[in-house]
Amino acid sequence: MASDVDRAPLVGRAEQLATLRSALLDDVGPGQTAAVFVTGESGVGKTRLLREAGQRLRAGGALVLTGACLDIGDASPLHPLLQALRRFDAELAASHARTSSAVGGLLRMFAEETAGPDGAGALLERVSRGLHLIAEGRPLVLVLDDLQWVDRSTRQLLLYLLAGLGDLQLSVLAAVRAESLQGAHPLRRVLTELRRLRSVRVLDLAPLGRADTERLATEIVGGPLAPEAAESVWQRSGGNPFVVEELARDVRDGRDGVSDTVREVFLSRVDALPEPAHAVVHAVAVGVEPVAHWLLAEVTRLPEEELLDAVRAAVAHRLLVGDDDGYRLRHRLVAEVLAHELLPAERAALHRRYAEALTSAPAELHHARLAHHWRLAGEPGLALPAAVAAAREAERLHGYAEAHRHWSAALQLAAAPATGSSAAAGPLDVDRAELLRNAAEAAHHCGEHARALTLVEELAARPDALTACALHIQRARYLAAAGRSAPAEAEYRRALAAADCSPRERATAAAHLAELLLHLGRYADAGNVAREALTLAAEVEGSVSEVVLASMALGFSEAYLEDPDAGLAVMREALDTAERAGRPEDVACAYLHLAELLTGPLNILEEGVVVARRGAERVAELGLGRTYETRLLAIATNGLFRVGQWAEAEKVVAAALRHRPSGADAVELLLARCRLSVGYGDVVAADRDLEAVATVLAGGGARHVIPMLTLRSGLAMWQGRHDLARQAVQRGLTESRSDDVGILAALVWHGLRAEAEAHASRAVPVDATAVRRLREVAERVARKSEHAARPVRDVVDGFLTLCEAEVSRLDRSDPQLWARSVAEWDRRNHPYPEAYSRLRQAEALLARRSRTATAGRLLRESYRIAQALGAEPLSAEIRTLASRARVSLGERGGSAEGRPATGGGSAGDELAALTAREREVLEAVAEGLTNREIGQRLFISERTIGVHVSHIFDKLQVRTRVQASAIFLRSRAE
Amino acid sequence: MGEPVWGPVQEDIVGLLNDHPADVPAVVDHLTKLQDMLVRLPPLERSCPLADFNELYLTITMSVLDGLYDDRFADPVFLARLDVEFAARYFDALRYWTESSPSTPRAWSCLFRRMRGPDARPLPSAAAGVNAHINYDLPFALVTTLESLESEPVDNTDQHRDYLEINRIFAERIPELRRGYLDNWQLMIDMLNGDIDDWYQGELVEYTRNVAWRNAQKIWRCRHDPEARECERERLDGNAAALGRLLLSPLGAFLQ
Repeated sequence: MASDVDRAPLVGRAEQLATLRSALLDDVGPGQTAAVFVTGESGVGKTRLLREAGQRLRAGGALVLTGACLDIGDASPLHPLLQALRRFDAELAASHARTSSAVGGLLRMFAEETAGPDGAGALLERVSRGLHLIAEGRPLVLVLDDLQWVDRSTRQLLLYLLAGLGDLQLSVLAAVRAESLQGAHPLRRVLTELRRLRSVRVLDLAPLGRADTERLATEIVGGPLAPEAAESVWQRSGGNPFVVEELARDVRDGRDGVSDTVREVFLSRVDALPEPAHAVVHAVAVGVEPVAHWLLAEVTRLPEEELLDAVRAAVAHRLLVGDDDGYRLRHRLVAEVLAHELLPAERAALHRRYAEALTSAPAELHHARLAHHWRLAGEPGLALPAAVAAAREAERLHGYAEAHRHWSAALQLAAAPATGSSAAAGPLDVDRAELLRNAAEAAHHCGEHARALTLVEELAARPDALTACALHIQRARYLAAAGRSAPAEAEYRRALAAADCSPRERATAAAHLAELLLHLGRYADAGNVAREALTLAAEVEGSVSEVVLASMALGFSEAYLEDPDAGLAVMREALDTAERAGRPEDVACAYLHLAELLTGPLNILEEGVVVARRGAERVAELGLGRTYETRLLAIATNGLFRVGQWAEAEKVVAAALRHRPSGADAVELLLARCRLSVGYGDVVAADRDLEAVATVLAGGGARHVIPMLTLRSGLAMWQGRHDLARQAVQRGLTESRSDDVGILAALVWHGLRAEAEAHASRAVPVDATAVRRLREVAERVARKSEHAARPVRDVVDGFLTLCEAEVSRLDRSDPQLWARSVAEWDRRNHPYPEAYSRLRQAEALLARRSRTATAGRLLRESYRIAQALGAEPLSAEIRTLASRARVSLGERGGSAEGRPATGGGSAGDELAALTAREREVLEAVAEGLTNREIGQRLFISERTIGVHVSHIFDKLQVRTRVQASAIFLRSRAE
Repeated sequence: MGEPVWGPVQEDIVGLLNDHPADVPAVVDHLTKLQDMLVRLPPLERSCPLADFNELYLTITMSVLDGLYDDRFADPVFLARLDVEFAARYFDALRYWTESSPSTPRAWSCLFRRMRGPDARPLPSAAAGVNAHINYDLPFALVTTLESLESEPVDNTDQHRDYLEINRIFAERIPELRRGYLDNWQLMIDMLNGDIDDWYQGELVEYTRNVAWRNAQKIWRCRHDPEARECERERLDGNAAALGRLLLSPLGAFLQ
């Protein structure tokens, strides 16, 4: 169904096409992701640009999947992806049987997916695996049109894949209509966040300039335009290519000047249509695009021949376009013109015909479309079952936002006075309480807590509602999820006092209340309620979840109230109970809480790490790998980082990331890995993880912003970019919740350190205002932490000591303050900040030219720790200071820079400068392994191996792998 | 289409608007730079009506930033994001205007149109900007912010209280701004009037800000429905534009 619409040349977009090709294909390295969001007004040529770019990317060797979002909004989860896969499947059906089977497999996965405990995260993982198979090693490009209508699930999938969590080389090219970003569109904030990333571009497609407008008009007319005509096209179109085309065609066809606006152009064309074609465009306008040919035939009830003629006429008048999957209106403007033409009764009749046609022939988006058409046909009785089916369908694919939308529609339909054919049947026969319960749960799952509460209120007012106790518990859950702790507490207490409360419900309410009180910092209360919950649960068969939850609350509250042994004992017992009962979720939960208790408030890191790792293994045996194993491994990683076992931490985090976690779990792990990379000085890897975190956080998750910014500033400092470090801290200070004293203290330390480093470098002036503000925040943190629990105070005190010492660096660094910091961190068993503090203490002593012997000892000790960690940037700073002060860092024979002398000393000495990790890498290099192979063996990324290798070359002063291997083998021979 | 809308400062302003500030310090920086450009815009230069608004907005935003540093708010994450999202809409409107786009909100274009003259009094000009920004931009900024924080517009929450705290910032700032606008002649009138129009101006902001919160709750309920959302947007744009035109009419001059 070709029209001359497609034949119009693409004018003035050569530069954009080149940009798209390089941004989405040529500049994307293996395993990397990229995205371009094309925004622009209607008619500026987004769809056209997408099509051309898609063709070029395909020609460039990429696998291009094309889909579009639907204007019925959050109707169906992941619709554009499904559509793209079906189109691709159809294209390949004949030619490539093998690839087609991969596509078919992914489509089947969608069809068979059921809402399981692992939820949306597991679905994301399966989608990315499926795409991986389909791509067969080719770069994959996902082209999505009309992204302004994207559903929430697709939005989350895009962020997941773009963050690199799917382990897939993927580019996304999407068009967004600029007008729809006005107002409160959910994409707005996402785009604001993404715009800052290097891998993402937002391409604002502007109207054509005067010269290009004339070129386009000339092409369409087939010859130069008269100056007045050219001027008129330019003035009236404002350079909008769609309008230029339409006006130029009128000029060509001698209708110039008849119509002043494009609207009138279309109006006159609609008027000129023959009757059957008229019916066709109206039918398409009422349908959900694209409208398939068979469906159009059913709705218009035209005989085949006549229908084809009518369609051809509508296409010739450039009102309709046809595609393999059906017909669409040529442009939104056409829809607007047509909207005023039909009478409401005519429109309702068309909707009825759609609904009838779809009832007899199930098609894509069956239920959602059926509900849509029956509702607009004025048949609530028929729309209701379709809406319920659509809601269940959405829940099956974990699309709770979409499900909530359908449940709400169902509630409205159930309340509507019966009209149409169902009117005779009397009021609708529905279980309204059931609808309310479902709608409330869906609302709760997608974060619409206020809506969930409203629905519960309506439920409570009904005679067939749940018991009073059950209602209180439900309300309390929703309130707690919304972060409204005080009313949530009141609801739990009401539940406990309710006369109709079953023993089981009482135990549940008490356990959850104890957890809530713990979050509120009311440890004594939490402990009392937890004890009560344990007593209640003991009398109820099978209430292991309650036992685990209550034990956790009791364990933490005891720990905070400074009786750690009692707390640990309770938690260990809960673990035994869970193991005896054997429900996997309970066992996983118990391990999680025990590990958190040990590594968190108790600061018994080594044991915590062991528990976390053992728990991870156990949980994997029980088949709960994805969520719980990931979380346990994140705890292990952070513990290992703090006790200074970085190489081990790196292995654990790599293992955890193999589960392709999503959401908050993924962010935790990426931040943990980034912390290691910052410590190692691996700028590229750290940067990549920070970008990935920012991508995931664009979808929500404010509580991880401060740790991300803290790492960003830490990284910037190692790069000597104190200005960037300052910026990150400033943003953090204005966005931190003031009750997070622990993470705030770490941020403030980074800020003061940035100013101190700026002072020392003399390259960037110190920002006096920033220093004043940081000191104020530090004082505030100190004040607030006075009332905090001991474990919190402990963390804060460590950072505040560092803060005070950094402030002294701005004047005359005080070795006493640094000595205190050394002692503080040594007591906590955190070698990294300890080594840093030793360096600064030595520096302060040397600057005062006093006790140089002590300074030398401090530097050597600091260097030993830094080297053992593999903390390269810190080691480099120590070496610089040592060389300036002519302090020898080696035990024997080392040069001033702390490097073993090459050539002179023995080969064993030559390896002395290498960290444990670097030796491992070197050993593998000597075996002749490639970086990729070494990465696989040591569970770290290929890129990190590259960094290690370059450090090895640097320290051994060699240039090739052969030379490095030779030194290694020589040392082994001795 | 014709000569650039920003005349001699076109390049500077286009360059500035290419950046999208992502935190509150960056917003302050942006508004400061914009102020320097606007007062160079002929023919009105220092008395550019948009500069009158921009200056007021800059002052308020600096107070918000101080408030964030000073722990004045219960939920700084919310307030910081709101501030950025709020400002983004002002910059968006300027961007649309720069491109002579039909999408420029009508609420804003009535003020933008006056940049070329005829001159309007500073107070009604600033008030017209405040009107567009609070009556039109704010409810949408609230919805976007709450949605990205996975929160909701619920009365009597920390976020609602922080939101209302901004009213106090307006109240603190407006009397002194008001004095900044005075010349000798007006000083006399002001002595006769006392603080009445300070009070009036403060009330106006507080009143419209509450309306904005209610409007945000309204949009919240239909935010997944593109059609209803667009309808609501049209309505707010129309209302704000009508009030804006009134403020900039000769009648508005009575405000000052």
